[in-house]
Amino acid sequence: MIDLDVSLPLARFPLRIETTLSGQAVAVLGPSGAGKTSLLECIAGLRRKASGRIVVSGTTVMDSGRRMFLPAERRRIGYVPQDALLFPHLTVEDNVRFGMRRGAAGESLYRESVAILEIGDLTQRYPATLSGGERQRVALARAIATEPRLLLLDEPLAAVDQQLKGRILPYLLRIRDELRIPFLYVTHNAGEARTVAKEAIVLREGGVAFAGPSDEALRSVTVIDPEARFDNVLAGVLDAETALGETASLRVGSAVFAVPAEEAQAPGRAVFAVAPEDVLVSTKPLSGVSARNVRPGAVISREVSGATAWIRIGSVGLEWTARLTLAAADELELLPGSPVWIAVKSHAFRRLR
Amino acid sequence: MTPNDVSILFLTLRVALCATLVILPLGVGAGWLLARRAGGFRPLVETVLSLPLVLPPTAVGLLLLQALRPRGMAGRLLDSVGIELLFTWKAAVVATAVMSFPLLVRPARTAFEEIDPRLLAMGRSLGSSPVRVFGRVALPLAWRGILAGTLLAFCRALGEFGATILVAGNIPGRTQTLSLAIFQRTQVGQDQAAMRLVALTVVIAFVTVLASELVARRRSQRTAV
Repeated sequence: MIDLDVSLPLARFPLRIETTLSGQAVAVLGPSGAGKTSLLECIAGLRRKASGRIVVSGTTVMDSGRRMFLPAERRRIGYVPQDALLFPHLTVEDNVRFGMRRGAAGESLYRESVAILEIGDLTQRYPATLSGGERQRVALARAIATEPRLLLLDEPLAAVDQQLKGRILPYLLRIRDELRIPFLYVTHNAGEARTVAKEAIVLREGGVAFAGPSDEALRSVTVIDPEARFDNVLAGVLDAETALGETASLRVGSAVFAVPAEEAQAPGRAVFAVAPEDVLVSTKPLSGVSARNVRPGAVISREVSGATAWIRIGSVGLEWTARLTLAAADELELLPGSPVWIAVKSHAFRRLR
Repeated sequence: MTPNDVSILFLTLRVALCATLVILPLGVGAGWLLARRAGGFRPLVETVLSLPLVLPPTAVGLLLLQALRPRGMAGRLLDSVGIELLFTWKAAVVATAVMSFPLLVRPARTAFEEIDPRLLAMGRSLGSSPVRVFGRVALPLAWRGILAGTLLAFCRALGEFGATILVAGNIPGRTQTLSLAIFQRTQVGQDQAAMRLVALTVVIAFVTVLASELVARRRSQRTAV
C-alpha cells in the first residue's frame, strides 16, 4: 500500500500526485514527459525538492509538513532507472553485491537474485560490455539483492520496440510471483501493464489522469499516449510434449495456442506477445485460412485515435486488442457486442525473454 | 654525483613528498566540495585557491613569512605547541605545499565533475551513506584524475624556489633543495656542479610527467569504451 501526496516543481509543469495505491503490483502509464520518472525519484528519495507525504507499506518516508525526509539510503526502496545506472568501475557481481547485507542471508539472496534474473554468465563482465537488456536485468538483480520493501522500475521507451530480447517483463512476473516484492512499473506498453499489474495509474502533465484497474487504464492510455503499445501479452506454460505437428502449444488458463516450434526449446513458463497489428478480425466464421489460431469472440469496445481503431475483443477468456484502420472497422460495423472471429498465425506469437 | 648532490636530492624528494602527502587529502576534499557544491561563494573560493598559480612565488613566500613569523597569526599558534618552523625543512614543505595545491585541486575537481551525479544518488538508494558513496563510487571513478593531479603537484613541489627561499632560506644541508642549490652554484660560478643538478631534475621531472601523461591516456581510453 502506497499513499502518495507529492508535489514537485518541474520545468514544464508541476508534478502533483495524490493517490493511494493498494495493489502489490502497479503499472504507471502515460506519455513521455508526463512526470513518471520524477514520481519514481520522489518515492526513492532522490528529489530533495519534493514536498508532501509519502507512506510506503506503513512507513512514512517523507512528510514535509513534519519536516521529515528519510534519506534514500534508509528507505529500502529498490530503484531501477531507465538507463540502469550500473557502476562502471565494478563487475556485474560487485554491482549486484553493492547494497547487499553481509553474511549467509545476503549470500543466498545474491544467488537467488542472479538465478532469477539469469545473469550467472555475466558476473565477471563490466557494464560497458553488456547489452541494454542485460543492464536492466543486472540493475534489477542489484535492487532486489537489497531486500527492498518496494521496487521501482522505469523501463526505457526504446525497449518497448524491442519485441523479443531485452524485455524485463518475464523476469518481473517471476519477481511478482516468487519473491512477492511490491512494485511500481513504468512502461509504455499498456498490454504488458495489464498482464503484470491489476492496478494502474495514468499520468498526464504531472497529474493523475486515471487510477484504477489496469484493464480500464487501457482506454485512457489510447487517448493520452500516442507512443503506447497495446501488445497482447500471454503469460502461460509452454508444453513441449503435446506437439501439434510443426507447432508447439502454449497454455494460458484453459486456452491453448499454437506457437512456432522453435520457441519451444525451453518449455515451462513462458511469456508471448502478439502485436495488435497481427490480430485479424472477421465477422464471419473463418475457414480455409493458414492461421493456426482461430477463435470466436465478441467485441468489448472500440476506441478511435486518428485513423486507427483499437478494437477490444473478448475471446477464450482473454481480452485481445486488434489494431484496424478506421475504414476497416467501419466497414465491418464492429460495435460492442458484435460477434467476431479472431485469427492469429502462430508466427505472430513472439516470445519475450 | 658527489655525496653532497645525493643529500640535496634526498632533501628535495623528502620536501616534495611531504608537501604532496599534506595536500593530497586537502586537495581531494576541496576538489570534491567544489565539484559538488554549487554555492554563490564558489567562484570566490576557486579564485583564492588558484592565486598561488598566478602570484609571484616570492609574494606568496613573503605572505607566508608574515604569517609564520613568531608574532604572526600562524606563528603564535605554532609557538604555543612548541613547533619551530621558519628556516627549517618543514617551512620548505609548507611553502611548496601552498604553491602546488592548485595543481592538485583542479584535476581532482574535474575528475569529480565528470561523474554522473545520478550514479552517486544510486549509491545512496542502495543503502550507502554519503561518506560510503564517496569511498565506493566517487573515489574509484575519479582516482586517475586525482593521481594525475598529484603527480603534477609533486613536480611543482620539486622545483619550487621563490616561496621556499623566503620561508626556509637557503641553508646548505638543511633547507637547500635542488632549485636553490642550482641558483646558488651559478651565483658562485660553479656552472658544472649546477649542470649536474640540472640533469638530475630533468630526469625526475621527465619520469613524473611521463607517468602523469600515461595515466591521463589510459583514462581517456577507458571512457571511450
